[in-house]
Amino acid sequence: MSIRVEALSKKFGDHAAVQNASIEVATGKLVALLGPSGSGKTTLLRLIAGLEFPDAGQVFFHGEEVTHKNAYERRAGFVFQHYALFQHLSVFDNIAFGLEVRPRSTRPPKEEIRERVHCLLKLVQLEAFANRFPSQLSGGQRQRVALARALAIEPRVLLLDEPFGALDAKVRKELRAWLRRFHDETHITSLFVTHDQEEAFEVADEVVILNHGHIQQIGAPSFIQREPANAFVHDFLGLDFQI
Amino acid sequence: MVERPADEHYALIFMAGAIQDLTTARQSARPRRATEEGPLARWTLILLSVGFFSAFLLLPLVAVFAEGLRRGAALYFKTFTDPMVLSAIKLTLLTAAIAVPANTLFGVAAAWAITRFEFRGKQFLSTLIDLPLWVSPVIAGLLYVLLFGSQGVLGPWLQAHHWRIIYATPGIVIATVFVTFPFVARGLIPLMQAQGVAEEEAALTLGARGWQVFQRVTLPKIKWGLLYGVILANARAMGEFGAVSVVSGHISGLTNTVPLQIEILYNEYAFAAAFALASLLSLLALVTLGVKSYVEWRARQQSEQSQISPL
Amino acid sequence: MKRILPGFPLTLGFSVVYMTLIVLIPFAALAAKAFSGSWEHLWAVVTSPRVVASYKLSFGAALLASLMNGLFGFITAWVLTRYRFPGRKIIDGLVDLPFALPTAVAGIALTALYAPKGWVGSLLAKVGIAAAFNRLGIVLALVFIGFPFVVRTLQPVLVALSEEVEEAAALLGATRFQTFRRVIFPAALPALLTGITLSFGRGVGEYGSIVFISGNLPFKTEITPLLIVGKLEQYDYQGAAGIGLVMLLASFGILGLVNAVQWWSARRMNITH
Repeated sequence: MSIRVEALSKKFGDHAAVQNASIEVATGKLVALLGPSGSGKTTLLRLIAGLEFPDAGQVFFHGEEVTHKNAYERRAGFVFQHYALFQHLSVFDNIAFGLEVRPRSTRPPKEEIRERVHCLLKLVQLEAFANRFPSQLSGGQRQRVALARALAIEPRVLLLDEPFGALDAKVRKELRAWLRRFHDETHITSLFVTHDQEEAFEVADEVVILNHGHIQQIGAPSFIQREPANAFVHDFLGLDFQI
Repeated sequence: MVERPADEHYALIFMAGAIQDLTTARQSARPRRATEEGPLARWTLILLSVGFFSAFLLLPLVAVFAEGLRRGAALYFKTFTDPMVLSAIKLTLLTAAIAVPANTLFGVAAAWAITRFEFRGKQFLSTLIDLPLWVSPVIAGLLYVLLFGSQGVLGPWLQAHHWRIIYATPGIVIATVFVTFPFVARGLIPLMQAQGVAEEEAALTLGARGWQVFQRVTLPKIKWGLLYGVILANARAMGEFGAVSVVSGHISGLTNTVPLQIEILYNEYAFAAAFALASLLSLLALVTLGVKSYVEWRARQQSEQSQISPL
Repeated sequence: MKRILPGFPLTLGFSVVYMTLIVLIPFAALAAKAFSGSWEHLWAVVTSPRVVASYKLSFGAALLASLMNGLFGFITAWVLTRYRFPGRKIIDGLVDLPFALPTAVAGIALTALYAPKGWVGSLLAKVGIAAAFNRLGIVLALVFIGFPFVVRTLQPVLVALSEEVEEAAALLGATRFQTFRRVIFPAALPALLTGITLSFGRGVGEYGSIVFISGNLPFKTEITPLLIVGKLEQYDYQGAAGIGLVMLLASFGILGLVNAVQWWSARRMNITH
């Protein structure tokens, strides 16, 4: 198991954002966290990344407990909803960032960093854009820079928060197919958050449905559609209206 | 700024059009937009504000230079060879050189704590930071006299150790620190609040730690706002009069800053010299405003750049 | 609670220590000094006729000046945001001059202008008005000092006003002046009041620009901050602390007023939108 989450809970003030959530994501799988807004899916993702600390529960990466580790120690690749690219750095420097901030003892030499960044630029098909700044890119291009930047640190797991949320419908569809292909090539264990069921069901190997901080159902897309676990899942998926 | 038709040449065309408006206002049938005032109202308002501005703001500035140069350039420049004036300039520079960096450090730390974390007493801390903007400079000076002065709370103890704070350089520095500490923090807090923490969080997930996050991600984002605060703090530090006047003791050549030296020269009826020295501070003020406008322009560019819509 | 971003103990600790040393301890010293004698004595000091006369002058002059700044500040902010004319950028850049110009420089410059032999003073003298060394001079100095507050608080609000709302008013048949009076002015009023209050607050405590022009005559042109300086020069620490405390309380009152204006406007906006 690449990611294992056990009985995770998180409150903000009186609001219980995540309650007693347990998930397992097998190595090499692409899993979607699906739910309406406010269901706690982004909080759950941030708990896994170490951007929030849980009130209770544990997080494991590849069997190693990381619950009390800081975000910078977890080596979890994270793609932010609005990309959070460093505006003052070029595309190249954005991608190189994670390698350059390593302590001197583990930091690769300059030449190697350059090579790896170029490899990643090739992977996300942005070789020609190395010297551009984020403000000079389209939304889809920024999304791919954000992905390359997260991959540069050779993450143990990849976490994506509404990866296509800020894009228009057409680019969204293209990127969605691209992400699936990309995942099939790299087989990096990935967990992504979405509120769009079509997206979740089309792209993911497995879907986790959340509501009010509680996990409602976990399963393969076809299974969930065939056998919704409860009334919420049934309603949320709008199964009545499907042929 | 709302640039209506946002063309630089527009000003000229506009002028020409407006003058035509004025001359042919009666007969002219040029339809005017629903959200525009008539030319008469428009030009009355412009003339009123330009007139007020010239009489109340520009004229005093012009007067400083005119009075300074009244007795000729030779006397003007001779002012700056007077040892008392030179020692005042030195003290002012020294004061700013201590107060401004100290307040920069404080401003960055306070802005970081206030914009990045939730804690009890946050509102209180932010109100405290604004305080010097509210308090009379004389009160600022008074505070330290009551604390460190010979009859002050700590006075006897300081005297026993032969430490002088009031009527000496340390007092001047502390009073200056007091009146200038809001500027850097005030410049940074709204900026850092608006920028949010997404980029800092991204840096964390990429393995950056404490100082690296600040130095590589935050600092480049806030540098214009920081510079803005620093130049305003510096202008105030070099020009502060009330607070420093109370704690200085006015010992010529020892505890006089430039503004205090101006007062002394003025009270000794050395008007030309007083205004010559005042013109130096006026130049500093103009440079400050110039840098400030430039920084505002850069900051606007930076924020526009990062706000281009994702598509 | 564990925090994600680094530096919390360091930055908060440093800020708190700094504020304690620079602000809290000195304020405690002020309070301690003010209350070190008897209440009766404190009361006698802060209500003595000369001191009361100075309150009236400081507050009265600041009020007049801030109202005048309200009027001309509104016009200037309006002109700067709405119209294009030669010199607009220069004026916009120089509005902050009173913030940047040391008060002592402003003080001697204004005195030179308004003195009986000065450029403006000589003109005023012809019609029998004495500006310098008179109360009028104090008001004029405070107009200079407080001018940027109104302009700078109004500008962003006037920029943010939606043109559509004005167009809607015009389509509903309002004349331009009616649109201004019923639509634009009410929307800008909170910012205008805030600017006036800020200008007033600054004026009450102002010292540097006034001491040169006022003439400093007890009961006539002696402002409160000057009285504090006088008490300190006579080593009357307790008296100085007492008057200082009164001014400080006044400042807090003005600060409260600004917050009240902002609260009121926020509430009004919530109801209407």
